[in-house]
Amino acid sequence: MFNQLYLIYGFLVLGSVAMSQYRGWSMDTMNEVKNVPRSIRDNPGAYRSIYSSYHHYTGGK
Amino acid sequence: MSAGTPPLPNPPAKPQVKALHCPQCGASITLRSFQQAVTVVCESCHCILDAKDPTLKILQQFQAATGELLPLIPLGTRGKLRGTDYEVIGFQRRSIESDGVRYDWHEYLLFNPYKGFRYLSEYQGHWNDITVCKDLPVVRTGLVPSANYLGEIYRHFQTADATTGYVIGEFPWQVRVGERAAVTDYVRPPRLLSCEQSSGESTWSVGEYTYPQEIWKAFNLPGKPPEPIGVFENQPAPATVSVKQVWAAFLALTIFLLGLMAFNDMVASKEPVFTSAYQLNPGTPKGEASFVTDVFELKGRTSNVEIKTSANVSNSWIYLNYALISQDTGRAWDFGREVSYYSGYDSDGSWSEGSRHDTVIVPSVPPGHYYLRIEPEADARHPLISYTVAVRRDVPVFKFYGYALLALFLPVLYVTFKSISFERARWSESDHPILQSESD
Repeated sequence: MFNQLYLIYGFLVLGSVAMSQYRGWSMDTMNEVKNVPRSIRDNPGAYRSIYSSYHHYTGGK
Repeated sequence: MSAGTPPLPNPPAKPQVKALHCPQCGASITLRSFQQAVTVVCESCHCILDAKDPTLKILQQFQAATGELLPLIPLGTRGKLRGTDYEVIGFQRRSIESDGVRYDWHEYLLFNPYKGFRYLSEYQGHWNDITVCKDLPVVRTGLVPSANYLGEIYRHFQTADATTGYVIGEFPWQVRVGERAAVTDYVRPPRLLSCEQSSGESTWSVGEYTYPQEIWKAFNLPGKPPEPIGVFENQPAPATVSVKQVWAAFLALTIFLLGLMAFNDMVASKEPVFTSAYQLNPGTPKGEASFVTDVFELKGRTSNVEIKTSANVSNSWIYLNYALISQDTGRAWDFGREVSYYSGYDSDGSWSEGSRHDTVIVPSVPPGHYYLRIEPEADARHPLISYTVAVRRDVPVFKFYGYALLALFLPVLYVTFKSISFERARWSESDHPILQSESD
């Protein structure tokens, strides 16, 4: 019984991978914005990214 | 009636019962197995009597409080086991001692006038249905002794001296309290092969692990059976799970997954749609840093977009606020990426962390015309940083395959761990605690 369930589960996993690849899914985080004004091409500074206040890591030992 | 045996007479008739009296205390004695009984025990005064003697000669009397040990299946209980009617006619407690600890188990003697005797043993809620062997097993000695019975190999589990500590009912042999026998068990779950040696005589029996619910159902016993404790020597591994089959399924699914990965890598267009190089001079007076790229076209079906950033950073960082913007619909994907690389040398030797490259995948981007808005940032103390931005359409995401492999592996790991734990628990009680069962 477990073996059959595992096979079904396995094929669901494979199906999910195939679907994610076909649909072009990603695991990266990003913010989707709608109706960005066309004027950005002329004035890029008018657009403010939500990521602009990111705290930068200054690494090293 | 199945198995071709007529049913036992109904309780009201009971023609087989022979009423006798104990010569010691006068209590009535019931013989249920006709002439088969060799000894019978008086439940009142615990005298073991010679059932073959018309006067019921006293053979032994042992000390036990009345009702000291009550069988879970009372004497005289009738039930149908494996299609045959049986009556419980005898009960005994036996024990072995190991490292100063006494381990008790109980044996029930069952009788059917047409089929003969059969036994049930019970140890901490684990039951075995036992019959005398039809053929003599062949024992193989060696590092791990084994026994071959009817072509099946049973592995040696334990050898111990068993002592009879309590008896009631009747028995087809000369039973005595204090009687000792060397008991050797061989296992092949769910079966158990047992050899008892005493007074130069060997008796082989074969048992099959029986779930307590089956016993309760067979004898129509009230309530619920006691829960089994621990893992018994011939207890089958948890039902419906075969570790070998699960591993075989995992292997097959992994091959499918690798095939899928190769296929997707082959069919993915990975089309370069935009590449450009830029420079950032953090030291210059700060004006508007953001800019937009030329428009590029994304073709084909809705798919992902890979944006790869490479920068010549050294003990520094560059941060880029990205927005992939559709010129056609005004839809944008906004994200930030950092490229940083640090290295040096200390008492532990050379070290480095970070990377001069970064890759991000933008999900499910419809076809159309797009451009990037880029807003770079860097530490003002650092010199000129050169970086390139490369965009590709429809790339394989190998992370998915890694996570899928993990998702496939975790159930296998769980089942394997459970199986190993089960077998360890089984063999920890044996003379060979490091052995693993071959049953799975």
